[in-house]
Amino acid sequence: MSDVIRDMDRLTEAVSKMSLEARADSIASRRRRNPEIPAAAWTARTVVQGNEGTAIAIVLSTIGCSHARDENGGCTMCSYLLDGTEAPVTADDLVKQFRTAMMRVSDADGPLSVKLYTSGSFLDPEEVPPQARGEILQLISSDSRVQHVVIESRPEFVIEDAVVEVRQALPDVFVEIGMGLESSNDVIRLLCLNKGFTRAEFISAVETARRHGIGTRAYVLLKPPFLTEQEALTDAVETMQDAAEMGVTTVSVNPVNIQRHTLVSQLWSRGAYRPPWLWTVVEALQRARMFLPVGVRIECDPVAGGTHRGAHNCGDCDGAALDAIRRFSLTQDLRTFDGLDCHCRPRWHHVLEHEGASLVVHY
Amino acid sequence: MSRFEIERGHDGPARRGRWVSPVGIIETPFLLGPPNIKDVDAVYIVPDHDILTQVSQPTVLVMPTLLSGRSAGEDILSERSPLVAAPSVVGASAVSSEMVTALIREQLHMAGDHDDPSRVVLRLPPIDDMALLGPLVTEAHNIGVRAALLQFDGMLGRRDLNSVIIRSMLPRNWLTIAVGSIEPCLVPLLSYIGIDGFDVSRADEAARRHERLWQNGTECVTSIHDARFCACTACTMATDSAEGDLESVLRGHNIHIYRTVLSEAVHARSRGLLRWLVESMTHVSPGMATFLRRVDRAVYPYIEEFTPTVGPSYLPLIGPESYHAAAVARFRQRLAERYSPPEDKQIVLLLPCSARKPYSESRSHRRFIETIESALQGARSAVAEVVITSPLGVVPRELERLYPAAQYDIPVTGDWDAEEIRIAAEALRTHLSKFSSDVVVVAHTSGGYADVLRAAQDDIDQSIIYTIQGGSATSDEALESLRETLSDVGGLLGLQVSYEGRSDRRRRRPRNALVGETLRATADFQFGPGAGSLLVPDSARLRGRLYATVTCTVEGQQLCSYVGSTGLLSLTLAGARRISSLGNYWVRFDGETLRGGSLFAVAVTDADPLIRPGDEVIVLNTDGEVVGVGRSEMSGREMCEFDNGRAVSIRHKE
Ligand code: SF4
Ligand SMILES: [Zn+2]
Ligand SMILES: [Zn+2]
Repeated sequence: MSDVIRDMDRLTEAVSKMSLEARADSIASRRRRNPEIPAAAWTARTVVQGNEGTAIAIVLSTIGCSHARDENGGCTMCSYLLDGTEAPVTADDLVKQFRTAMMRVSDADGPLSVKLYTSGSFLDPEEVPPQARGEILQLISSDSRVQHVVIESRPEFVIEDAVVEVRQALPDVFVEIGMGLESSNDVIRLLCLNKGFTRAEFISAVETARRHGIGTRAYVLLKPPFLTEQEALTDAVETMQDAAEMGVTTVSVNPVNIQRHTLVSQLWSRGAYRPPWLWTVVEALQRARMFLPVGVRIECDPVAGGTHRGAHNCGDCDGAALDAIRRFSLTQDLRTFDGLDCHCRPRWHHVLEHEGASLVVHY
Repeated sequence: MSRFEIERGHDGPARRGRWVSPVGIIETPFLLGPPNIKDVDAVYIVPDHDILTQVSQPTVLVMPTLLSGRSAGEDILSERSPLVAAPSVVGASAVSSEMVTALIREQLHMAGDHDDPSRVVLRLPPIDDMALLGPLVTEAHNIGVRAALLQFDGMLGRRDLNSVIIRSMLPRNWLTIAVGSIEPCLVPLLSYIGIDGFDVSRADEAARRHERLWQNGTECVTSIHDARFCACTACTMATDSAEGDLESVLRGHNIHIYRTVLSEAVHARSRGLLRWLVESMTHVSPGMATFLRRVDRAVYPYIEEFTPTVGPSYLPLIGPESYHAAAVARFRQRLAERYSPPEDKQIVLLLPCSARKPYSESRSHRRFIETIESALQGARSAVAEVVITSPLGVVPRELERLYPAAQYDIPVTGDWDAEEIRIAAEALRTHLSKFSSDVVVVAHTSGGYADVLRAAQDDIDQSIIYTIQGGSATSDEALESLRETLSDVGGLLGLQVSYEGRSDRRRRRPRNALVGETLRATADFQFGPGAGSLLVPDSARLRGRLYATVTCTVEGQQLCSYVGSTGLLSLTLAGARRISSLGNYWVRFDGETLRGGSLFAVAVTDADPLIRPGDEVIVLNTDGEVVGVGRSEMSGREMCEFDNGRAVSIRHKE
């Protein structure tokens, strides 16, 4: 891959700077949130370990992702940092946030799936102090309904001690650590996304988790900036295959959506980026499902799907495409895509074939 | 080594030529497209694992990107292709200057590593900070790169304009290819600004949208039977056979339209009418009209530099786009900079233009001239006849046979728009400021011509006498008024002289003063101020008629001749020596003496950057001696930048 690029450092530095500039003073103007209330929480009916149950997703309000906080600018497509808060958040606050959120499922029937998001890394001791981490895990383990837990973290925090702590706190629960692999291609991840970690670091995190019987979810980004539609499709499929080979338990495909104060949104507003076509999402899911082992789930729920800021097609077929994608995520059944077609599909084929020639963004 | 070889035949920066590389030749201008479009002149391939193996046509351009990495067959493909694009990324038009620089540096590395850097095509994104590209292009040139890809998104906005500006910054001997979404109607304009290759992938995109492209827009087609009539093979075959894949029929039709429009552009260029074609295409959409105006404003010096100073025998100037066309604007500018009136003029007579050119051969001007002569009885030479016209502004009688004054044709309604009035008033103001404030301005103008004078009169120092209140300038009444006015003014100024009787200085003035004045004014206009008095001194003997040929001889030696059909002077070697001291319009070549009828650019060591295609030029040898005269076939800068192509067609040589 990198055989083509000569001066990777120079390029990544330029991207990092642009990302930082796009972020600019947006961080300073972050909302001061009530530190005792989570940034968001929602529930949904879902399948938990093969049985009908409830999923609760909780976004803890923290100081934000370590990678985005420091001077390298953070990832080029992500403004989760803005969901964080300027106010100092103590360990007690975080525990309170968790308790508050869990009240939403106080009456729910089991089994429960708890997805614990932080706009960063749950395993980062600076973002979530060890004391809070311990108490929250304790609270989860004391709820017998919980059978599935997802936490999120950058791979550099998925280290032996942290994984052991999680395993010991939740010995009988299926735990998955979600990590943004985004792309298995180092050039794309480091250069286009300014992600800041290598493929090797990700693999080591997956292995650390696996050694302790903890699963991993690889977030795969569909259409990083500077990639043509065709390149994005190829890269997403390759990444899913690679992730499966690395041993992840679930692959979650995230088509890029335009988040404020990011390099991607800057490109987008200057007509230099288009979020992926839903056809590309469908195609990627189909190809990957054929290649990946049956045991590895493939999920996708396009944020802002069908809008200009998210993955979209022509407008006529977006609803049907999104339905099919969501249904597929539940069933893993490729037949959900049968019969999906639209007058815009040939145009999408044109984009795949020609964008690379002109490198003019095709809409 | 590969290079762009230029052929004769300029019209603006547009040119004809060929790309010659060890692995293939591409004649320009050419259409280029992906392998699924048949009948393009050149096929490009984006190396991709899936399609590399399926390509059967000879590939002309390989276009890898920076992020796909190298695929298996790519190297073999690249070896066989006359052109290989340097890899870049999508979206580069909106990144920081630092990032653009880094991306282009990657391309320079790639070119530097290539066996034959001259086959590498630089990709230049349409960034706003274009100044940034200058040094990088120079560096690429030094590495050996001779071609560039420019992006057009087809929105005719700032990015497309940026690409045009970037084109104007590139060395002339680079091949330039436009890629992206290029509507057929944009092809003549892009050709005009010097694009050699045109991506027609839009033909495919439109086909997939079930659209037929036309020169003036698109047509949605659900069934070819209900569609507009079209005689192209794709459409007729489809109508005849019941079945047929609509998409491929439309693709065939669309490429046919590109062919048609490109051949139209080629034909127009060969007749010197490319600008006219470009202007006529602006009526396709307001966007096109806006775009041409922006292009004219942004890169006028570039367009002017390559616009020939001679042109077609008939030049239609139809809309406001013509007001600032290079041939027109340059005429106004040169007149302002180079013309100085003969000193002994005492009356400036402002006249309306005529449809027939040159003006003096029109019925109306014949009557004006008769009236002047009858009013002043032989003292016509005291009158500076100045024709007011749009969009040239003003044309003095002496220069009425020059291109484009003798060739232009405009729609005439009698009403002038504000811009026409502004342009002509400006020209008139400048023109009159060159005359003594003692001369009397006689305005034989009405309608729009009178509006021009009204707009200018506050800045005119001379006294102005109006001959008509309104109505036609050629009515018997108006002509009588003109006669009376001239007669009165002439009387006051003491102009009515009979040559036999009087002995004042005016007596020396020959009856055909206009001939000498014409040659002098033409010399100044062609070669710069001062040339007239050098080439046509008082002692010169002039023989011939302005509508045919006039030879100018001094002490038995011919210096130049005036050719009525072009309104231009041809120099003899003696004439060239006389004006070489002015330091204009010279071409220096590497050698002692000229051989053959042409001087080729490869031999040119230096040339006056003032030279435009079609100019009369003086050829100097290594020692700076005048050894030839001829007609330039390219601009001065091109003579220096090209190492091939005909620079000068030699007429006389030592
Ligand atoms: S994508 Fe993840 S790692 Fe990157 S800035 Fe956002 S939260 Fe941090
Ligand atoms: Zn659609
Ligand atoms: Zn047709």
